[in-house]
Parts: sequence; structure tokens; C-alpha cells
Amino acid sequence: MNAPVTDAKSSGALLELDGLTRRFGAFTALSAVDLTIRAGEVHCLLGENGAGKSTLCNLVFGMHPPSEGEMRVEGKPYRPVGPRDALAAGIAMVHQHFSLVDEMSVVDNLMLGRVRGILDRRGWARRLDGLAERYGLALAPFARVGDLSIGERQRVEIVKCLMLEPRLLILDEPTAVLLPDEIRSLLGVCRRVAEEGAAVLLVTHKLAEIREAADRATVLRQGQVAATSEAPAREIERLVRAMIRRDLDTLDSAMAATLGVAEAGPAEKPDKPKPAEIPAGPDVLQIDNISQRDADGATRLNGVTLTLRAGEIVGLAGVEGNGQSELGLILAGLRAPDSGRLFLGEQDLTGRKPTAFTQAGIGIVPEDRHRVGAIVDMSVAENIFLNRTGDFTRFGLLRRQAMYDAAAEMMQRFDVRATGPDARFGRLSGGNQQKAVLARELTAPGLRFLLAAQPTRGLDVGAVEAVYALIREAASRGVAVLLISSELDEVLTVAHRIAVIYRGRIVGERPSDPRHRNAIGAMMAGQAAPEEPAISEKAA
Amino acid sequence: MTAALLAVFIGSSIRLAMPLLLAAIGELISERAGVLNMSIEGMMLAGAFGGAVGAWATGSPSLGLLVGLLAALPVALIQAFLTVVLRANQIVTGLGLNILVLGATTLAYREIFGARSRETIPGFPAWTPPLLGDIPVFGEAVFRQVWLVYAAIVVVILAAFVLRQTAIGIALTAAGDDPRTLERAGLSVEALRFGAILMTGMLAALAGTFLSIGDIHTFTEGMTNGAGYLAIAAVIFGNWTVGRTVVACFVFGAATALQFQLPAIGLDVPNALLIMMPYLLAFLAVAGLVGRQTAPRALATPFRR
Repeated sequence: MNAPVTDAKSSGALLELDGLTRRFGAFTALSAVDLTIRAGEVHCLLGENGAGKSTLCNLVFGMHPPSEGEMRVEGKPYRPVGPRDALAAGIAMVHQHFSLVDEMSVVDNLMLGRVRGILDRRGWARRLDGLAERYGLALAPFARVGDLSIGERQRVEIVKCLMLEPRLLILDEPTAVLLPDEIRSLLGVCRRVAEEGAAVLLVTHKLAEIREAADRATVLRQGQVAATSEAPAREIERLVRAMIRRDLDTLDSAMAATLGVAEAGPAEKPDKPKPAEIPAGPDVLQIDNISQRDADGATRLNGVTLTLRAGEIVGLAGVEGNGQSELGLILAGLRAPDSGRLFLGEQDLTGRKPTAFTQAGIGIVPEDRHRVGAIVDMSVAENIFLNRTGDFTRFGLLRRQAMYDAAAEMMQRFDVRATGPDARFGRLSGGNQQKAVLARELTAPGLRFLLAAQPTRGLDVGAVEAVYALIREAASRGVAVLLISSELDEVLTVAHRIAVIYRGRIVGERPSDPRHRNAIGAMMAGQAAPEEPAISEKAA
Repeated sequence: MTAALLAVFIGSSIRLAMPLLLAAIGELISERAGVLNMSIEGMMLAGAFGGAVGAWATGSPSLGLLVGLLAALPVALIQAFLTVVLRANQIVTGLGLNILVLGATTLAYREIFGARSRETIPGFPAWTPPLLGDIPVFGEAVFRQVWLVYAAIVVVILAAFVLRQTAIGIALTAAGDDPRTLERAGLSVEALRFGAILMTGMLAALAGTFLSIGDIHTFTEGMTNGAGYLAIAAVIFGNWTVGRTVVACFVFGAATALQFQLPAIGLDVPNALLIMMPYLLAFLAVAGLVGRQTAPRALATPFRR
């Protein structure tokens, strides 16, 4: 199915999109997109969150039908009504969120949907070994997927696709969760696949990846093609302008972080308005030797100790699943640690209820906005004043109009855009939801400590900047902030000081300075920090 | 306890565990696919009633068995249609169906049998397998059973094999743990769940006919009497694995058999306490007191794209 492709053929179009449009209700996610993907190339698809990249991938993979327009594979009309048709046409996709069954083994995941009758687990394990050798993707065939690291899980995803010998491999933001080393090896696999004659569609918004891997690139903005490039590595600036309509050197810190400009090489280092000196306020939050095991008895947190001072933003960097979520729950009072203590100022909060945490002055922007941060079926106003409905009651009755008026004011102050205070929270965009949560937490009386767990996940660049500004503003008021993030660029941009968590331990601390990037990356991967040139802390 | 009494105890434990086992394996198949099939009680009752009426009307227990299977089919189809196609709440539809079937079978029983409620219904005879029956003391008491008992054992082994060693098995597991992934693998969550519910219906109906024409050769109103719920508890007790579910069913069966055995050996335990035993065990299981529970992650969650 996948014969080596000759030069003449490699310039031919493998997949052609012709005026592809997709509407969701009144919203047009993708509007008259023309795009050609050739065999043997790595084609990067760029764009901000919400620019239509995922929609495009989903249309190609048959998850949704297009509203208008046509697709062709090798010149023949291609109208998939489901992923099955896409797979039959030789199109495989690695989704942004893994599509693996955690409870099953690696080989079972590989066989799912691909075999009939009695399972030949040994035979598939051998095939897995063969592919692993060819692409340098080693995997234990009988390991349970839930026990693998994020990087290994993605390897399973890719192997799953490669086993089909696809003609087109779609990777939807595959590097968002990976460590620097893993990203490099992934890009290597992409190159290898393209050299063997298949096409790769790599969705990303990281400039370094384009520089390293892309043969051609297409930029989407607001559902339309904003630019295409035959030599993207040389045209980074033009592509960025097309993507966000701003020049590289005028990027603000949020965009620089989102795009990974610091990694992108020559165009390095937009000016950073970051206060490098660590504010010397009094200690606010003390996490003292906290440990926790999960229901299986596995250690999730192992003697975590961290002190935050007033006005200080501490970034907790780490690959997801290294204990951040557990620490977040403990800091929110939703779970008591197995051992260790937690102090806010002089007050011992260990084992107290969440309400005690709130009253003591702890604000929480939780990792899972929908499940813990807000009630999606209630209005924006109700969500903003969820913990303060008492302010709006008279004789035990809720004065809704008074609450709406106050909420409207808050929404203006925090730039929460919705049809009104009575809009259903779930209808808001991710950025506006997060701003509403921040509005609630930051205006709580007596706020002393704010936990922001993965606060910008899934937000577009504009909203990211707004969230950073709100966090900084809180810190300048003297609030201590713990920013938990798996995006190294994010903590480098926002935090004063960075602590690295690995397998439930704080394995190191560094001042927030791009020059420590490699050391921090290595610690996130569980390696000892490499020897680094002495950096005078004042130089930044 | 003498050997003879022990043999009788084992024999009746097996007999009492069998309908539970068939139903629990059926329930397990649905639950592994992500459907909490509460209507199993109704499916069993429909099967029991259909089996009784079929056997009585035709005089043949084998035809009765067939009628029993057919009687549970509409229940399974409605359950599957409501929960898989319309994505209704699985627990609510299940409970609704149970009440509907209880009402329908009670009404139909009174209409059909009316005054003849004492009438005996032809049922399957007990049968002793050749060599096993020759074992002294235990042979007759343990192995003299309705052939359905042996069929049930075969069904359980088959189910375990299919779940563990075949493509359908991993697809069912994926439907229950991570339906989105299953769909991305190019398989239909709906088809798998629909099929799983029909399979549950058939196994539950078999369990029901076992009650009416395999075991006691009669039908009484609401005769399943919570056996379906006990089967659900057995699946939880069994932590959603075939092996442990089988163990759970035999524990429940033995607990029921004890009611009849303890008085026989002269132990004075209040009868009410013994009747309560299987339910008490089930309660402990459901309350999570027997080991850690790892339910399929998408259990009872309708699948939406």
C-alpha cells in the first residue's frame, strides 16, 4: 500500500482540500479552506487556539462532515462518513487527547478495531518490536497503558498509526505535553515517515518545531488560510505575522510563551517585562514535608516542602502526572495529606475543610475548570458569587437583580465577555470561563494565597495574556501565587522562581530565567540538572 | 455435618447459584460494555414467565425455553433502544422496565391461569452425567442436576474466553472504559452496546426459565424476587471479572442454601437472618467493603460524540 515514492510522484498532491467549510450552528469554524498536502512532505498547520486547526483535522479524519467543499485523495473524491473511511483511505490521526484505553495493555490497544476473532497477542508484540526498531520507538508490549508516561503513551499512539502504513499521518498538537527531548525524537519520527514517502500533517503553534521539521506550512486564522509557505524555516516572521497579525519583536510575553519563541533561535527573546528580583515579603504559605499515596498505595507526593512569600509567584514546573494534581487538591483542602503539614501564615490548615481554606484566604483556580471550578449549568453571575450568595440575600431570599448588577460590574472589570450576567456559564469560551473563575477567586476578601493550576490550558493567546496580567496584579497586591504548569515557557514567563516536581518530589529550584531552561527541562525529565555556566542572578 | 448433608448442601448451592450465575454473566457483559443494565430483573421475570407459559401451553419444556427467550427479547430491545439510541438514563429505564414487566407478567398470569394457579407446569427433569454420578455419596447429590446447569457452565467458560481472548472482548472492554477511543478505532459503540444488552437479555431469560421450568416447575407472581439485583451485586462483588463474579454467585448460592441446611443439622439460627445473608453480602460488596472496586470508567454513561 505504501510503495516508495518516486520523485515525480512526490510532487503530486496526496490530499487536496477545495473550499472546505464547516459550520457549527451560527459559528463558522472553517471557511473555504484550500490546502494541498503532498506525498513525502512534513506539512505544518499553524494557528492560534480556535483558528480551526482541529476542525480541519477532524474533517479530514471523517469525524464531522464538511458543510461545503470537497476533499480529494490522489485526485479521487474523498467523502468520509467516519474514521473508518479515513483509515481505509490510508489516513491515520494522533489526536490531541490520547485515544488509548488506559485499562488495556499496549498490544490490546494496538489490536483494537484492527482484528477479528481470536487475538494473536504474541504475533502483534513481534510486529510492535519490528516497528520499534524501524523508527526508534521502543515500547513494552504487555505494559498497561495507564502505567506508561505521557511520552510513552504518545509513542503508542504513533505506533498505532504507523502500523497501518498510512499515506497521511495527522498529528494534532502532539508536542503540547512532551518534554524537550521527547519533542526532538517525535520530530525525528515525522522526518523518517516523510522520507519513506508518506505525508505528515503536523499541527502546532511552536515555531521551533516548524524550523526543525517543516517542508511546507499553512497558517490558519479565524478559519481561513492566512498564509502558505514553501520554505517555512526561512519565513518564520511572515508566518507569525499571518498567525497573530503582529511582528515578532512586538510580541508580548504571553504570545512569546505560547509560541515558544525563546526556543526558536535567532528571533530570540522579546523584551520581558518580568520583575526578576524575588519580592522579599513575609512567608505566607508553608508546605511542610507533605506526602500522599493513592488508592493503589503508589506514592504520589513524597515529602514536598515549599515556602511562598507574599507577592511572590512560584512556578511549579513538571510533566503532568508527577503529583501536581494531588498537590492541587491538598492546597484546595479537597484532600488531606497522609503526612506533613500545611500552614497559611501562623494558621495550621492541615486536615481542615475547604471552607476553612477559603476563609483563611486561599483562592483556587483549579485544573479542571468544569468539574471543580464552576457549575456549568448555572449563570455567570451565580458562578462569580457562588461563595458569597449571602451578600445578596435579604430575609433569606436571594435578590437576584442585585447579584446580576454586581456581576455585570465584575464582568466589566475582569473583561468576561458574555451575553449578560444571566448567560449560562457553559456557553462561555474557555478564556471567559477562566476569567470568571479568576474574578471570583481574586475578589475574595482577605485573599493571601492563590493556587493557579494549569490556568491557561486550552485558552487562546489573548485570554492567556489576560490571565497572566491578573495573576501578576494579584502578586503585586501581596498575594502569594503558586502557578502549576506543564508548559515550561509559561512558568519562565510568569514566575519569579521555579520549583520542579518529578515523581512527587521537588527535585530542584531555579530563578526564573531562560538561561536555566535546559537545566529545568532536564529536571522535569528526572535527570540531574546538567552542569551549567554560573549565572549571576543579577544579570537578568 | 455428615458427608451426605455436605453433598446435599453442595448440590443445592450449585442449583441455587446457577440462575444467578447466568444472569450475572449476562449483566457482566453489559457492564463491561458500559451499560448498567438494571432491567435484568425484568428480563429474568419475562423469561421465567415465558418459559412457564410456553411449557404449559405446548407441554414441552424445550419449547417453553424458546418462548422464555422470546419473551425477554422485547425487554432487551426496549432497554437497548432507550439507553443506546435515545441515550436515556440507564438506571431510570431499567427500574421502569422492571416495574412494567412485574405488572405485565402478573396481569397475564392471572388472565391465563386464573383459577388454575395450582396447575403443574412441565419442566426439565434432573439428569446425572455418566461417570460423575457414580462417585459414592456425592455423585447423585451433587451432580444430579437439570441439564441447564451444565449448559450454564459452558456458557460461563465461553464468556470468559470471548472477553479475554477475542477481538470482541477487547472491543467490549473499550466500549465500557473509553468509548471515544473505541469509536476512533473505527468501531461502533452503539452496535457493541446494543448487542451486549441483547446478549444480557438472552442470558437473563435463560436464568429466568431455569427458575420456572428448570428448578421448581411452576410460576409465581414476581418469582425472581430480587435475583436480578443480586446478579448486579455479584458483578460488583466480582469486581467486573468473570472469575470473581462466578465466585460471588456461588457464595450467594451457598448463603441461600444454608437457610435450608442449618435447621437440618440442628443449628438454631433465626431464619430471617439466613434469608438476609445473600443480601447482606451483596450490600457489603456494593458498599465497597470487599476490596477495591474498579468499575468500567464509562459505566452508566450514555455515549455522546
